[in-house]
Amino acid sequence: MRRSFVAQNPSVLVFLLGLAAFTLGVSLLAEGFGIGLISTSFIKTLGKTLCLCLVAIAMDLIWGYCGILSLGHFAFFGLGGYMIGMWLMYARTEIIVEASLAQGVIPPTPQEVIDGIGSQIFGVVGASDFPVIWMFADSLTLQLALVPLVPAILALVFGWLAFRSRVTGVYLSILTQAMTLALALYLFQNDSGLRGNNGLSGLQNLPGVTAPQSAISLWFFWASALALGLGYLLSAWVVSGKFGSVIRGIRDNEARVRFLGYPVESFKLMLFTLTAMIAAIAGALYYPQAGIINPAEIAPIASIYLAVWVAIGGRGRLYGAVLGAGFVSLVSTWFTGGQAPDINLGFYTLQWVDWWQVILGLSFVLVTLFAPKGIGGLFDLLNRGDKA
Amino acid sequence: MTFFTKPAASVLALTIGAGAAAADCPIKVGVLHSLSGTMAISETTLKDTMLMLVEDQNDKGGLLGCELEAVVVDPASDWPLFAEKARELLTVHDVDVIFGNWTSVSRKSVLPVIEELNGLLFYPVQYEGEESSKNVFYTGAAPNQQAIPATDYFLEELGVEKFALLGTDYVYPRTTNNILEAYLQDKGIPAEDIFVNYTPFGHSDWSKIVADVVALGADGKKVGVISTINGDANIGFYKELAAAGISADDIPVVAFSVGEEELSGLDTSNLVGHLAAWNYFQSADTEANSAFVDKWKTLMGQERVTNDPMEAHYIGFNMWANAVSAAETTDVDAVRTAMYGQEFPNLTGGTAVMLPNHHLAKPVLIGEIQEDGQFDIISATDPVPGDAWTDFLPDSAVLTSDWKDLGCGMYNTQTETCVQLKSNY
Amino acid sequence: MTCKFRADLLLFFCGVLALALASFARPGHAQEAGTLQQLLQQDAALISKASRRTIGPVIDRIVASDLPAVPMFLSAWQDKTIWQRRADGLFFVGADMGDRTYRLTDIDSGAVIATVPKDDLKQLKPNSGVRGLIATALVRFQLSDPDPSLREEALTAIERRPEAGLLAPLRASIDTEPDAELKARKMRIERLLTIGHGRDPAERVAAIKDMSGDLGVDLRAALNPLVATRLQISTDLPEGVNLARVLSPGGPDLGRLEAYDMLAEAELAPARQTPDQIKTVLSNHVEGGTVGGVALVRLSTPDARAIAYDTLAQEGKVAPLVRDEEIDAALAAHVFFETYAEPNPEVTAAALAALQGIATRVGLNQTLDLGLDAISLASIYFLAAIGLAITFGLMGVINMAHGEFIMMGAYTGYLVQQVIPNHTVSILLAIPLAFAVTFAAGVAMERLVIRHLYNRPLETLLATFGISIALQQLAKNIFGTQARPLTAPGWLDGALVLNDVVAISYIRIAIFVLALIFLGFFLFLMKRTRLGLETRTVTQNPRMAAAMGINPGRVNMLTFGLGSGIAGIAGVAIGLYAKVTSELGADYIVQSFMTVVVGGVGNIWGALLGATMIGTLQKGIEWLNPSNTLAAQTYMIIFIIIFIQFRPRGIIALKGRAAGD
Repeated sequence: MRRSFVAQNPSVLVFLLGLAAFTLGVSLLAEGFGIGLISTSFIKTLGKTLCLCLVAIAMDLIWGYCGILSLGHFAFFGLGGYMIGMWLMYARTEIIVEASLAQGVIPPTPQEVIDGIGSQIFGVVGASDFPVIWMFADSLTLQLALVPLVPAILALVFGWLAFRSRVTGVYLSILTQAMTLALALYLFQNDSGLRGNNGLSGLQNLPGVTAPQSAISLWFFWASALALGLGYLLSAWVVSGKFGSVIRGIRDNEARVRFLGYPVESFKLMLFTLTAMIAAIAGALYYPQAGIINPAEIAPIASIYLAVWVAIGGRGRLYGAVLGAGFVSLVSTWFTGGQAPDINLGFYTLQWVDWWQVILGLSFVLVTLFAPKGIGGLFDLLNRGDKA
Repeated sequence: MTFFTKPAASVLALTIGAGAAAADCPIKVGVLHSLSGTMAISETTLKDTMLMLVEDQNDKGGLLGCELEAVVVDPASDWPLFAEKARELLTVHDVDVIFGNWTSVSRKSVLPVIEELNGLLFYPVQYEGEESSKNVFYTGAAPNQQAIPATDYFLEELGVEKFALLGTDYVYPRTTNNILEAYLQDKGIPAEDIFVNYTPFGHSDWSKIVADVVALGADGKKVGVISTINGDANIGFYKELAAAGISADDIPVVAFSVGEEELSGLDTSNLVGHLAAWNYFQSADTEANSAFVDKWKTLMGQERVTNDPMEAHYIGFNMWANAVSAAETTDVDAVRTAMYGQEFPNLTGGTAVMLPNHHLAKPVLIGEIQEDGQFDIISATDPVPGDAWTDFLPDSAVLTSDWKDLGCGMYNTQTETCVQLKSNY
Repeated sequence: MTCKFRADLLLFFCGVLALALASFARPGHAQEAGTLQQLLQQDAALISKASRRTIGPVIDRIVASDLPAVPMFLSAWQDKTIWQRRADGLFFVGADMGDRTYRLTDIDSGAVIATVPKDDLKQLKPNSGVRGLIATALVRFQLSDPDPSLREEALTAIERRPEAGLLAPLRASIDTEPDAELKARKMRIERLLTIGHGRDPAERVAAIKDMSGDLGVDLRAALNPLVATRLQISTDLPEGVNLARVLSPGGPDLGRLEAYDMLAEAELAPARQTPDQIKTVLSNHVEGGTVGGVALVRLSTPDARAIAYDTLAQEGKVAPLVRDEEIDAALAAHVFFETYAEPNPEVTAAALAALQGIATRVGLNQTLDLGLDAISLASIYFLAAIGLAITFGLMGVINMAHGEFIMMGAYTGYLVQQVIPNHTVSILLAIPLAFAVTFAAGVAMERLVIRHLYNRPLETLLATFGISIALQQLAKNIFGTQARPLTAPGWLDGALVLNDVVAISYIRIAIFVLALIFLGFFLFLMKRTRLGLETRTVTQNPRMAAAMGINPGRVNMLTFGLGSGIAGIAGVAIGLYAKVTSELGADYIVQSFMTVVVGGVGNIWGALLGATMIGTLQKGIEWLNPSNTLAAQTYMIIFIIIFIQFRPRGIIALKGRAAGD
């Protein structure tokens, strides 16, 4: 029997419709398109949140469905950002340099143009030569291809090494965290060729595009929504088939699945690489909206936050990941934005900026202890309520 | 949540000072300093300074008949968040000016936003130069206002012949050290007598590096350390230095990122005599300064100290206020034009002047660390005009910045063309 | 002589003039100035704004005057206690009387003049360079001073500025030196001075031979300048120079173009044109859309530019390009050679031989020093990880808040120091207190959170991470974001110096000892006590342990508390050598986990080996790439990831049933 995929997973349809309605609603209210109630900066926040939801889905696939607590998916996310950032920087600088050199009497040689771009981009870190890794930066197509490719290769190599030697459980978590730390430290070096601590900046300006940020922000918002929708669909499809059954089996009892003859390592490796690619695409959409990417983004703590979002949203259900990422990151923005009113306790004025982190930390503890299913668990209660 | 555009959000904004009646009132001053995360250590002080300055101005009757209102946001030491918060300040809160940023990377993150929306930013920290934005006034020191005079002091007054350039691995030390390397070679110091080392943020294991520096003395030349080590890492560095028994008379260390605030986390008795170069020290003996210090201590507590970026904000804010009064509007372009040539007395004596390249002309002070964690000012130069593009790197030597007459921040004097109008970020 | 120009700008000029006139009228001048004050007034401007570049002759004059007040004045000047009265510019010794007033004493007679407010005075603040010159001038007064501390000061001054003129007074003072230690030091300095400034080569060679084998930086500092070389260019090899070597352009030590550029710089050959220069020249010779017959639009390749340039050169408008043949000819016509700074070949030969001997020993000692550094780093990692070796290694609990327990320990140390000013007592008190505080915190955490998650290890990770960020922020709210001082007691100041190459600070030794103590304590606890036995039992098989009447809950609680408590003590130690901030713990957490994982879970020796390996490795990589500490950390982590491939369970893997997940 083969029921249609959607019929099998009604939640997918609900989610996609919800996402479409949300996107439409926001667009109509946006500054650059509709009646202007929502500011451009908030459109950017929403667009970035959608990207975070996408990477949370990837995290949910690998952790919620396969039981691998990866503390490295934000590294893939960041790498995706770096890949697109290289083209954005190169192309933007190229336009500036060519315009500037064209003012001279003598037309520039191609080498002079490249040198000019080099010293513009790397002057900040006291260098001017292009490192090898920038080889393809002049081509949008190649650099776009690198967005999923580079993280996929890293995930393949790392995953192959790790799964092959049967590193599991918390060991694997710590190992992925070490990978993230190594990557972040590497990128922090000025000699890494990606401008060290400064990272790549000015990414919000699309080369050659003169449209205002209010429009560009909306384009990215739509692209992020589209990516999230497609990512959700892909993930739902992956977990609903036989592949999904096997990886859930691995989560619940790895040894038993292996005894049944499934190549557990290959399944894990495939899923690890796939989620790394999803994370990379999310990153490539995120950083042009954020405007800057630098190694601090990749620091191990970011990946831990990612796990926390998924935990709060509810593991093992895709909408849970989306809810968690969306909810926590938006609430964080609100509390750290300085807009939440202080609470005057008489003897002490409670400032949210100071106490938000404490509350956030404690809420993880509470969620883990008392609501292991996260926000998603509420839906179960609701469902049960319906039936009752 | 910055859901809504201007009207709704201004109600939510953190305000000080009562509202006023006039049409453009209140005049809004954005404060973009991290209140959480790694940089909060330095930046919270500047937020408090800004609140103090705004309150002062309101006590004096505000500006243009309006009350001033400080809008404080927290970019949480998260560089992308700086860009987001800057956009929020300019579009949602509609601030007239922003005072903010500490690290260069955060400034580079904010630049595209400020330039796109034609905002006005006052940046109060010493930095590496090689940048000039139409929308930013740099009230901290450029390399020629801190690094170069300090190096001259090493060369001429201390007779240092061999240099160890130790820095944290990020833009400011990298660029500053590049400039210094070129400068020293210009001054006849051979390349092999310049030792460069970079360490990560928060580095704590200094024994090997300190041993390396001591070993530099093996060829009989006087060794000096120029430190661009940032923040916490300094504590471990100075502790190791003290443990190794290196006195300032043997191997002097001049630091560009160590001020009163950083020393308050240290027992300075073993560091007496080591140096720092700034445009301001709390120990400056003037009336204006003692009033400023007293006010700060009354407001924030007796144990608190003042430092150079605070003075930069003090000068920047007052110049801005005067420029607004002169222009009779808070319109960015009008205020910018009125800023050129603005003069305001330094806390250390003398007068700071705003130059057409958006930098200040300020005196450079060199101080020796004392037992009480303060600096004894042992050298003060005449005002040095800040230079956006250094004269010691071949690529930058031909560039100049003049927003007043040339209207260009990156003007190539050789080809006599404007390289670009936006800044490089 | 007086200067009455009013403009400030002329002050400097005036000073220079005074100097010139003063030196012109040198003979008998000092005798004319009857008092030191009068003498000083002649150079008042130079003295009040002293600079190392100009103060030398002034100090010489002061010393040459032989007035009795000179030593007192110089040392007061050095100590920044000389004040100038603004009204008349006279110099006095000033003593702080409080209330911003100073008591002035006459520098010649020592008589108290008056007590005046600070605003009427200007303090002389000689900078460190000037103070160095003063110290050198004071040497001859101090070398035979009855006060040994002054004699020591004099020796330090000679060490810092080994000048030829000091050799004679130093030698004269050796015989009468009563203090054996100072005498030995004097003799050593005498040898070092002789190397550089001895009368004849034989004496200097003898001094070099006497000292050879010594590891002191000061000896190398005396020898190296002798053999420093200078690259010179000439048409023929000159006679009578102390030649180091002849360089051939194009060889390994001197590139061909580099050599040619040197010729050009010395104006011995025409300079090569850089691409930029060619471009500038071309743009200066544009005629009706072409340059040298080449259309402007075609000038976007180097070749086209070269053709255009050549055309211009043929027309005689610009200097022709320098061709390869010309470069070769110019190089062939000159000799490139290096000469020693020291003209005497015997001395340089002896110095080279001595340096060579030293180099091997320095190398060996550097390795030893590196080894000490590695051990020290390893002991810090071990100390940070030992608590984790208990909670994670034995109990399998991932405690991401372990770093924050370290931080709590460090802050406890800071708080204790706020209450008890005596550093020794406060540290001794801080250690048990830190243990108590973090033990309590650990127990509380175990009871409230971890207990409920024993069979959900990944969720323990999340929950404890939540606690970690909450604790970190809490610390920020309480103590602020500024780093807090945690000062070691005086007896831990300084370093154990074996020689000028090998040294290690006492704090690091103390941390090493502390790590050893903990190792012993841990072993004792696990092997010899009831709690240890019970812990091992519960670790291996909790159900069986429960059946034997052991309360696993209680044992888990105590074990976890113990691990946390040790983290607290580690915090005090780490705070002593580095810094106390809210992020202190976060810096160590990943490394600590690595240490335990690499070493092998469940075994204290594993943690020890893990720490040793990581410490050694990091130092080793740092040594290979000294300018980049960050790279060392990156490579170390990559190494660990690869290492885990081969030993997934760490260096010391548990075998049998205990190894079960």
